[in-house]
Amino acid sequence: MNAVVRPRNLQGNRACALAAIEAGCRFYGGYPITPSSEIAECMAAELPRVDGVFVQMEDEIASMGAVVGASIGGVKAMTATSGPGFSLKQENLGYAAAAEVPCVIVNVMRGGPSTGLPTRPAQGDVMQARWGTHGDHPVIVLTPASVMEIHAETRRAFELAERYRVPVVLLYDEVLGHLVETVAAPADAGASATRRFASGPADAYQPYRPGADGIPDMARPGDGYRTHTTGLIHDEDGFPTQAPARVGAVMARLLGKLDAHRDAIERAECVDCGDAEVVVVAYGITARAAARAVAEARARGIRAGLFRPITLWPFAERAFAAATRGARRIVVAELNAGQLALEIERLAGRERVGRLNRLDGEPLAPAAVLAAIADAAGATGER
Amino acid sequence: MNEAAHAIDPAAVAAAPRPTNVLVVGVGGQGVIMVSKVLARLAQRHDLEIKQSEVHGMAKRGGSVFSHVRFGPQVWAPTIPVGEADVLVALEWAEGLRWLPYVDPERGTFIADTKRIVPPFGCTDRRRGATLAYPGTAVADVVGLVPHAYALDAEGMASELGNPRVANTLLLGVLSTVLDFGVGEWREVLAEFVPAGTVETNLAAIETGRAWALDVAARGVLPLAAAPARAPAVDVPTGAVRLDIEAAWCKGCDICVKFCPELCLRLNAERVVELTDPAACTGCRICEWLCPDLALAVRNVASPAEAPA
Amino acid sequence: MDTRTELPFEIRDYLRLDRMPHFLCPGCGHGIALRALLNAVHELGIDRDDLAVVSGIGCSGRLSAYIDANTVHATHGRPLAFATGLKLARPDLHVVVITGDGDCLAIGGNHLIHACRRNLDLTCLMLNNEVYGMTGGQASPTTAAARYTTTTPLGNHEPVFDACKLAEGAGASFVGREVTLQAPALKNLIREAIAHPGFAFVEVMSDCTEIYGRKNELGSSPEMVLRQKHDVRPESYGNAVERPFRPGPWRTGVLAKNERAEFGAAYRAHCRAHHGGGPGDV
Repeated sequence: MNAVVRPRNLQGNRACALAAIEAGCRFYGGYPITPSSEIAECMAAELPRVDGVFVQMEDEIASMGAVVGASIGGVKAMTATSGPGFSLKQENLGYAAAAEVPCVIVNVMRGGPSTGLPTRPAQGDVMQARWGTHGDHPVIVLTPASVMEIHAETRRAFELAERYRVPVVLLYDEVLGHLVETVAAPADAGASATRRFASGPADAYQPYRPGADGIPDMARPGDGYRTHTTGLIHDEDGFPTQAPARVGAVMARLLGKLDAHRDAIERAECVDCGDAEVVVVAYGITARAAARAVAEARARGIRAGLFRPITLWPFAERAFAAATRGARRIVVAELNAGQLALEIERLAGRERVGRLNRLDGEPLAPAAVLAAIADAAGATGER
Repeated sequence: MNEAAHAIDPAAVAAAPRPTNVLVVGVGGQGVIMVSKVLARLAQRHDLEIKQSEVHGMAKRGGSVFSHVRFGPQVWAPTIPVGEADVLVALEWAEGLRWLPYVDPERGTFIADTKRIVPPFGCTDRRRGATLAYPGTAVADVVGLVPHAYALDAEGMASELGNPRVANTLLLGVLSTVLDFGVGEWREVLAEFVPAGTVETNLAAIETGRAWALDVAARGVLPLAAAPARAPAVDVPTGAVRLDIEAAWCKGCDICVKFCPELCLRLNAERVVELTDPAACTGCRICEWLCPDLALAVRNVASPAEAPA
Repeated sequence: MDTRTELPFEIRDYLRLDRMPHFLCPGCGHGIALRALLNAVHELGIDRDDLAVVSGIGCSGRLSAYIDANTVHATHGRPLAFATGLKLARPDLHVVVITGDGDCLAIGGNHLIHACRRNLDLTCLMLNNEVYGMTGGQASPTTAAARYTTTTPLGNHEPVFDACKLAEGAGASFVGREVTLQAPALKNLIREAIAHPGFAFVEVMSDCTEIYGRKNELGSSPEMVLRQKHDVRPESYGNAVERPFRPGPWRTGVLAKNERAEFGAAYRAHCRAHHGGGPGDV
């Protein structure tokens, strides 16, 4: 693929679609839903130019099913949706997690629950992105905070999905989706990782026997392996098993397969955390307000910092611990009733953590974050 | 003018007390009725009295069908007495042999397709290699039994024209050289009776039949000799079969046992199927088709020695 | 080309022998349908490596695991969605969907009608045994009137779907129905369906002997299979009284067939016309 070298003004959703194509995505199964529809529209126009396939399916469930089917066929595949549609996709997203089928799901968050606030931003799907489908399962969730980062993280989403055979959720909100910013992707972006297909004798091949990195090679239909793919818990041969010893073993590998690669998967940005008394934890659109608030706090003499997870799940625990080692107070700012705050409280202890939440369909403004920082700083005895 | 030495002059027919008798025989589905209808219509065009008497319906597809066609100035009886058929047209070989006694021993003509259709009752012994209950009479054996005879592979010739179903029309072409209706009349009447889309092929068939008959008559060759004897058109399985049972897959549903036409399967004490009489198994595969457990397989084996005793 | 396709049909060549015997109940009609499918695949000369079988959830859904091909056991009701993605991404594969009456008509009904509308080159075998067997015998959209199931303890009072009419109405370019009793005819129908370039829907009238049969006192396995004979009206006997819903007679044979643009090929041609290039086979 041609790397994007010259700066251009791009809408967030469009940047997502173009980055997907650059990453090698050649199948998109979609269903219209605000505020993600521009991704489908862009893919419908662009995929035919690169020998790809766009199909608008009959519903959100089918679009996720088609994406899993296409990926089983050996093609990089993606879908995009928003709140209610994300709920509908959960069953087949769980299938992808269980059967280890690489795929990328974009969730442009809007206000919820239910039909909620279709045209307003929110960050209410943090926990659904992690635990939305039933049962324990591995998943990677990325939360870009700018159009430029949507572009980069979309590419990375495909890389991670293909490398670790896991569904990757790209989670951003209505404001970022519809935001137009200048994007200048690095010229050396290159194509993202290609899938590691099975090779070697078919007789010896076991579809779920992990390689040295804990990830099994994936068979491509037509290559002579004739494997079975199922959402039932399956042994290394791909066929269902209920033997407790085997179930325990395969589940342990499935749930632990990302652990060995946390350094490669996790990504976070720390701003002024080194000496911070107050660290704000924020992601996505909220992180932009938080960054300005932290700068203003610093200008006022408050030692504030920002910890911004870009990989939301698995959560960047070590980076977080390092960033907040010296902090007396941690403020979790998010457009929900307090979802990532639960994880932060688990990691940092409830006594250190304060919450800043907004649920009225409006983004958090820097002033509100600054006020929260000031409050927290007051609690720490500074100023 | 007669086109063959033994052709019947309509004028003579008109003078004769006896009508012209044409017996058309075959098996259901071949077009016996069509042939006789064409003949009846031709006679009708000459203001002759017609009686056409046929048996069909009971025969269904594949069963014996015959039609008596009698025409002349006056026709009394609907059927042709034994020994008085001027022409016997047989669309199937054994059916022709069945009706041979009806051919007039003095001047009769036998026109037959050498096609063989083995009826179901000819296959009552369903085992591999069983002999068919079908007359062994060869084409040459008919020589001398009737005054005039044409035996030809009408179906094969019709297939070359693109449609094996016009074999009956091809025989009509042969018949047209024996009866003295004008060539154009045959064509006109034929076009009335055949389906619209097949007129061209049927006209080609009647021409082919005529040409063949005139050729063998002109060359003086024995019409019988010109016809290759055809192998029976039935697929008789040869070799031996063996029913293999994957006992570990059988769940004892009893379907094969109840459906086996030879009653040679049973469930044993463990409710697993077993073959009670290997010699009785004909390899019909009903059990194989209907086994939900995929546990039965009929396999061809090179020799009976490989089949279970 | 797989040379085995030139030899007489040997079902063991198409089965994962280490998975056999299958888990179906004694007398289950699904096994008969499985054999017919594999025989049709053999006659068409389809290489096992080029065959993908996508199934849903339920007794029918388990069949894919026994077929030595590229097999996918999808989620409940969604095999057509999975298959749509797979076929669009891989037009070189022959994709056959195995589904059941509950999987296809209830939870997957939306996918069925849109698959029919799109006319992507898929073959959908819906094994209709009138019941949710895997979950213990609950009523399905095809459970006949007055039949007893665990969720119709007073006898079924719900109207049923005529799946073939549904498929035809939704635009399927090939629709057929056959009973397992007529296994060779079923094989021929499946063969024609797979060869058909477009969406082919085949309803297989199957028997649930152990659960549905027992509950409704329909007799032994052989009796249930034989009963199909009385419920069937082959399509060639078109003058029989039309009765759209079960119990029979059910029209069998090829019920609808037309030549409509195949979705994948049409999409690729459409793209090529606009962009010069276009999606090709992967």
